[in-house]
Amino acid sequence: MTNKYYEFFCPVKVIAGKAALEHIPFELTSLAAKRPMIITDKGVRAAGLLDPVIAACEDSGLDIVSIYDDVPPDSSTTVVGAIAKVYRKEKCDSIIAVGGGSAIDTGKAVNILVSEGGDDIAEYSGAGILKKALKPFFVVPTTAGTGSEVTSVAVITDAKKGVKLPYSSPFLLPNAAVIDPRMTLTLPPHITAATAMDALTHATEAFTCMAKNPLSDAYATAAVRKVSQSLLKVMDKPKDEDGRLELAQASTMAGIAFSNSMVGLVHSLGHATGAICHLPHGLCMSLYLPYVLEFNLESIREPLSDLLLHLEGPEVYSATPAARRAEASISSIRKLRDELYKRCKLPRTLKETGKVLESQLEAIAKMALDDGSIMFNPREVSLEDAMTILRRAWV
Amino acid sequence: MLSKRLQPIAFQARRAYVDLMFQVMGRALQAITEVDETAREETRFLPVGFLFEMQVMPAGPKLIVEHTGDGRLQYLGDEASRPVDLSIQFKHMAHAFLVMSFQEKTAVAFAHDRMLVDGDVSLAIKMTRVLNRLEAFILPKLVAERAVKEYPATLNLPNKLLNAARIYLKVATNLVETVRA
Repeated sequence: MTNKYYEFFCPVKVIAGKAALEHIPFELTSLAAKRPMIITDKGVRAAGLLDPVIAACEDSGLDIVSIYDDVPPDSSTTVVGAIAKVYRKEKCDSIIAVGGGSAIDTGKAVNILVSEGGDDIAEYSGAGILKKALKPFFVVPTTAGTGSEVTSVAVITDAKKGVKLPYSSPFLLPNAAVIDPRMTLTLPPHITAATAMDALTHATEAFTCMAKNPLSDAYATAAVRKVSQSLLKVMDKPKDEDGRLELAQASTMAGIAFSNSMVGLVHSLGHATGAICHLPHGLCMSLYLPYVLEFNLESIREPLSDLLLHLEGPEVYSATPAARRAEASISSIRKLRDELYKRCKLPRTLKETGKVLESQLEAIAKMALDDGSIMFNPREVSLEDAMTILRRAWV
Repeated sequence: MLSKRLQPIAFQARRAYVDLMFQVMGRALQAITEVDETAREETRFLPVGFLFEMQVMPAGPKLIVEHTGDGRLQYLGDEASRPVDLSIQFKHMAHAFLVMSFQEKTAVAFAHDRMLVDGDVSLAIKMTRVLNRLEAFILPKLVAERAVKEYPATLNLPNKLLNAARIYLKVATNLVETVRA
């Protein structure tokens, strides 16, 4: 009898495509919500991305009761507490998070406080603390990479202790993720590239790491295909709405995949690099992906070979000898990185970032070894292994 | 019909086996931090007085060890005077049995959602590495390869045998002392 076993869970309603934002009023009222609060950041507001959201709601007679637009890139317990106070003062009854990972995580954390009560979000840190459904919560992503709109986790910095507090519960999942191509049309090229590489990494690790399963595989391969087919088109033609929608959907699908099958060493190294060198997460993913795939190669040869079909299409897949497909998949990812470097100078090596010192590599390696995602990497990783990968990624 | 009658006995035997393995593992965790510097390099990062627990939910067998300083762990049995700092919990006795009978690697059990971590995940990763190293020492290589993600390439036979003997001796001594007490 097989020892295989998996769990898969994604109750988020995905509302995607043309005029998706205009579905928000109906979806909110169907959950008996009438007084929504928007949580976002200054960049999103300055880019005018709130305007279509507000217009869509007001056009249906639904007023946005309050807008908090001061979420910082690394949200903190203080910010969450402050937003919860505004929510209560304005008697809001639902939350719409509009933005990238930080705004979405902040929305999740605020939803805990306003639903469960209290002023200190730190008290709810950990896994499985929440036991009941929270207030209606919608997410409108403005980047196409994190997949936070379909994950059941949030990370908030404890302002007093200076540590990152994890929150994990199925109740953190939003009621709906609204994927509208208008929200990513104005993303600058280097952010478009880095966030798409984040999505590609989520999908690739979901498809090749230990907790892979048939359902997450389906989402992961579809996400890889969409990124491969659309990323360079969007880089060349940023106002391509269809391409933008493809990337946004890829991000959501990759999010569904990795939240059910976890990620591996690329994320362990990326989290450590982000913490030590303050590099954006998507860039870290792009930097490490091919090197980690090379390290894991003999453990993941079969799924990595299959991935070639989704990276390069049926012609290249069938023309490549079966024994060379895994290596061809890595080459395909390297080629994509080279193309992105040509178009927006997205760094391919740690050296090219100009923000990492060679002397920091050991600290990165040590921190990566204790990262939770390393558990799901198909190969055991020693300090020496991590250093070897980092040295390869250096030059 | 017969299998239905035998089922409660099988469940009891499974529970007894997991209980015994937890007792051995708890004592062996203490022993490995007394004999192996590599294991101590991991546990040294734990705060002094740190309590680590492995248990089967909801109220099954349990082992608790305490970091007493300099990377040394002390086996406390299945009770502690204060709440534990880190707990790795099997969702069901059947899942604990799969791991304890080396039918499923610890990492695979995590991947299969058989276990939960309550506490600092990075410390759970450290403790899992110590458990893996322990299994690599005390189990025959063929069995250890079924228990850990990758059998350590640097672990040579004399080193394995010597450390295994020292760990088993300490476990046996501790067991005898417990029985006498």
